[in-house]
Amino acid sequence: MEKRKSDLNTEEIVDKYRPIVSFRVKKSIGAHTPDWEDVVNEIMVNVLEKLKKGEFRGESSIGTFIYTITSRRIIDYIRQKSKVLKHAPESNPYLSPQDQIEDKERAEWIAKAIEKLKPKYKEVLYLYYYQELSREEVAKRLNITSRRVSERVNYAQKLLRKVMKS
Amino acid sequence: MKSNREESTMRHCMFEDFIDDYLFKRLDETQGDAFEEHYFNCPQCFEKMAERDELITVIKAKRSEIFRDVYAPEATSRSWLESVFAFFTPRQWAMAAVSAALILIVALGVIPNLKTKAPEFFINEDLVRGSSITLISPVIDNLKQIPSEFRWQSLGENIEYKLFIYDNGDLLWSTTTEDNFIILSEEVKKLMATGQKYSWQVKAFSAEGTLIAVSSRVQFNFASK
Repeated sequence: MEKRKSDLNTEEIVDKYRPIVSFRVKKSIGAHTPDWEDVVNEIMVNVLEKLKKGEFRGESSIGTFIYTITSRRIIDYIRQKSKVLKHAPESNPYLSPQDQIEDKERAEWIAKAIEKLKPKYKEVLYLYYYQELSREEVAKRLNITSRRVSERVNYAQKLLRKVMKS
Repeated sequence: MKSNREESTMRHCMFEDFIDDYLFKRLDETQGDAFEEHYFNCPQCFEKMAERDELITVIKAKRSEIFRDVYAPEATSRSWLESVFAFFTPRQWAMAAVSAALILIVALGVIPNLKTKAPEFFINEDLVRGSSITLISPVIDNLKQIPSEFRWQSLGENIEYKLFIYDNGDLLWSTTTEDNFIILSEEVKKLMATGQKYSWQVKAFSAEGTLIAVSSRVQFNFASK
């Protein structure tokens, strides 16, 4: 059950919602936009301020409350950007060297795990996630049922989830 | 302790099925908004979506390493038939089939009208269609003697033939018979002169009197009577 007004804890909110807000912001404005972290920080500050001022009255869940603030800020950011930087060149991807190394190592690790899967799981992942075919299209391509495709995708995800969490 | 199956069943959320479509931007605006609001409220869906997103990013970035044995054979060892089928999408193949059928229908409708017409002859101002008559004798020039017999190919029964002998283009004599030959009488022979160029022709008529065949006109002359 989502927390209501009475049991809100600032630290918990930041820990829980910062990754979600970050994900949403990166999906909307692009993970390679150097501003994404600033936008996330602004949103989290805004959320905490509104909570402090008592603007969250518990009429909706805290998740919906933060979602609304996030969506508005993203819309503002995109409007502002399109006005100011309409003709500006694309920004270079920004990641700290440490982040880059960690990301690269993790990607290698996940890639190895996928590579070790049986061919029947790999071919489904290739068609479904790389070629972005629907489950029905994958089924037709491999001459199996859509249900079997779903089973293979789910099983491959289950195996990989263990690796990604470890 | 709950089994893994029970645990995963309990955790399954109806929005989970939206994850892939959301990441591939296949949801419409309303569905997308609803799903976004949902994952702000559902830690399980968010966790699964974040994992899925990372998985897709790795798959996209490292395709050539990961799927060496899966996609490489498809690209290199396709049979020619598979290559032909892969050339168009199923929809394009359907369009091509419909177009081919239309072309075939048009062609079959038009081609019969383009067939070569039957032989046509202009005879006495009348347009006649029919086959030709093969003349058998005489068909060579410079005969030693005036020919006694004129013979041509028979076209069957109940056919009437009309023989024409021309003297330098002008009709000299003609006669009608149901046989495919005629014996020249002495009276006709008297009309013809040594060294003169003559020609002959046969026309065939049906029982109803319709002209059905015409021979070519063959020239002849003779050295003596």
